Amino acid sequence: MRRRAAVASVIASAGVVLAGIQIGAAVTAARTTTTTSGTGTSSGSGSTSNSGSSTGSSSGTTGSTGSTGSTGSAKDGTFKGQTAQTPFGPMQVAVVISGGKITDVKVLQETNQGGRSVQISNQADPMLRSEVLQAQSANVSTIGGATYTSEGYLQSLQSALDQAGFTG
Amino acid sequence: MTIQNPTRPTASPSSAGNRMSPQARFRRRSAISDLLVVIAWVSGPVAASLYLASGGLADVKDAGSFFTALGIVTGLIGTDFILLMLVLAARVPAIDRAVGHDRAIALHRQLGKPALYLILAHAALLLIGYGMASGFNPIAEIGPMLTLPDMITAVVGTALLIAVVVTSLVAVRRKFPYEFWHVIHLLSYAAVLFALPHQLSIGGTLAAGTVQRVYWIGLYVIAIGAIVIFRFAVPLFKSWAHDIRVERVEWIAPDVASIHLTGRDLRALGAGGGQFVIWRFWTAGTWWHSHPISLSALPTDRHARITVRVLGRGTRRLTSVKPGTRVSFAGPYGIFTDAARTSPKLAIVAAGIGITPARALLEGSQLARGEATVLVRSSTDDETFLWTEMRKLAEARGAQLFAMVGPRARNSWMSQHDASRGVTLRSIFPELSRSDLYVCGPEAWAQAVVADARAAGLPDHQIHLESFEL
Repeated sequence: MRRRAAVASVIASAGVVLAGIQIGAAVTAARTTTTTSGTGTSSGSGSTSNSGSSTGSSSGTTGSTGSTGSTGSAKDGTFKGQTAQTPFGPMQVAVVISGGKITDVKVLQETNQGGRSVQISNQADPMLRSEVLQAQSANVSTIGGATYTSEGYLQSLQSALDQAGFTG
Repeated sequence: MTIQNPTRPTASPSSAGNRMSPQARFRRRSAISDLLVVIAWVSGPVAASLYLASGGLADVKDAGSFFTALGIVTGLIGTDFILLMLVLAARVPAIDRAVGHDRAIALHRQLGKPALYLILAHAALLLIGYGMASGFNPIAEIGPMLTLPDMITAVVGTALLIAVVVTSLVAVRRKFPYEFWHVIHLLSYAAVLFALPHQLSIGGTLAAGTVQRVYWIGLYVIAIGAIVIFRFAVPLFKSWAHDIRVERVEWIAPDVASIHLTGRDLRALGAGGGQFVIWRFWTAGTWWHSHPISLSALPTDRHARITVRVLGRGTRRLTSVKPGTRVSFAGPYGIFTDAARTSPKLAIVAAGIGITPARALLEGSQLARGEATVLVRSSTDDETFLWTEMRKLAEARGAQLFAMVGPRARNSWMSQHDASRGVTLRSIFPELSRSDLYVCGPEAWAQAVVADARAAGLPDHQIHLESFEL
């Protein structure tokens, strides 16, 4: 009887762990999609990363951070994003657009609840900034170990880009 | 199939289900027991899966994040074990009926050290993981770590947990009086609660709005709820409802006394013969110490009886309580009863104070003539208390009774005389292999009987042990 319990435990445990990994993979995929499809309303051309759920009519041009479609609509200047709430506090950034390009991202409010998240922010912010400048959009992947900070950062950035009429 | 006892209708609460054959009951009980075991063990991997399902694996990118992930998982599993320990110690009736209180407590004890190690690993691994992520060394990470929300309570909880586990180590526990250990042990409730806030406020796995958080809080509710209900509320209510008081104390051997109790509707306790109850006698000298003591007779509506051997100051005080003393209790517990039967025949071996549950077991069993065989054992004639009652019961139940008196033989549980003339378990119980063997007596002696039974090829599920630590 004990053997029966042991075998059942092992099988059930394996099942539970596998299910956990599966759900985790799905969650991770969904999280990436959400981050990227936040820009999904773009109707311009040449979005840099095309997520499947994008509702735009982009013709799927890839690669180049095409500025053709956006230069007309994007205003130059500094735009404050909305404050994004994270479990570690509010996060707010401002974006500087010059000549139809993202030239800088400034952090206005930082997740700061507890030393650990300050540390995370200090580490993640520069990484996010350089990724954003490179990608010329908020469609960048989150920083590992700083998921909430990254999501807040990118969410606030996206709202700033929307205000600027920046579509990539 | 059964002969009803003519003198007293057995009003065991389980008698409705009792008419299943012992084998059928055993299959059912072991299915439930297996299910509980599976739930217990699988709860560990489930805890790990909470992290996996929150997408934790995607965060593992380098050595630092690997240690961090491992730290989170060890924390989850360690806490799960601690909650499991609470449930095991809560004396949940379903668990007691399926595996018995003593086995539940044995598992509780086994889990103590692994749970503590997992929690300590949780702290160490996260320090290492965070340290590697930020390029600091782990020690330098302690400061920033403590500024995290709810970390102070978590550290206090861990310290309490260390105290609880260390004072429970056998070697350490012997050095302190029971009360000291008990008070420290009660701190484990505080340890568990102190650890909760940081689990909910830090990290993503149990973040607000997740299924994981709901499950986790559910675990806490089950564990704390089980303790509150079964350790406190039910015993308090039953003690109040049955209003048990000491009737008189009767000395039946130089150091053995029966305490007669009166109360209200005691049959409704549903005590099975062979069960024990945890008693608390409300006098100035005894109220702070509870005693697990077997019923030495099945309770009637108004009366119950327990029999104790005076072993130390605590039990000495018990035997001097005045008639009318109020008694609160928890129980009855244990599966040294008819309900644990697995086989067609019944064999009982009892020695010393072990006669008490054995007597109640025989009294509470519905037996066919010739179904049961009883062996009572003592070293001296002083130790033959309750034997007369046992003899009468055996007659009434159609059971055969053997007595074995005399000093113990070397390397045997039998008397020198019987060991030397070649008596064996099988010669006493010719149908041993078709029997449930119930052994009850002093720990070392009882273990010797069990070893003998195993050597004779009796499988574990046919051996039922109730030992008294002397």
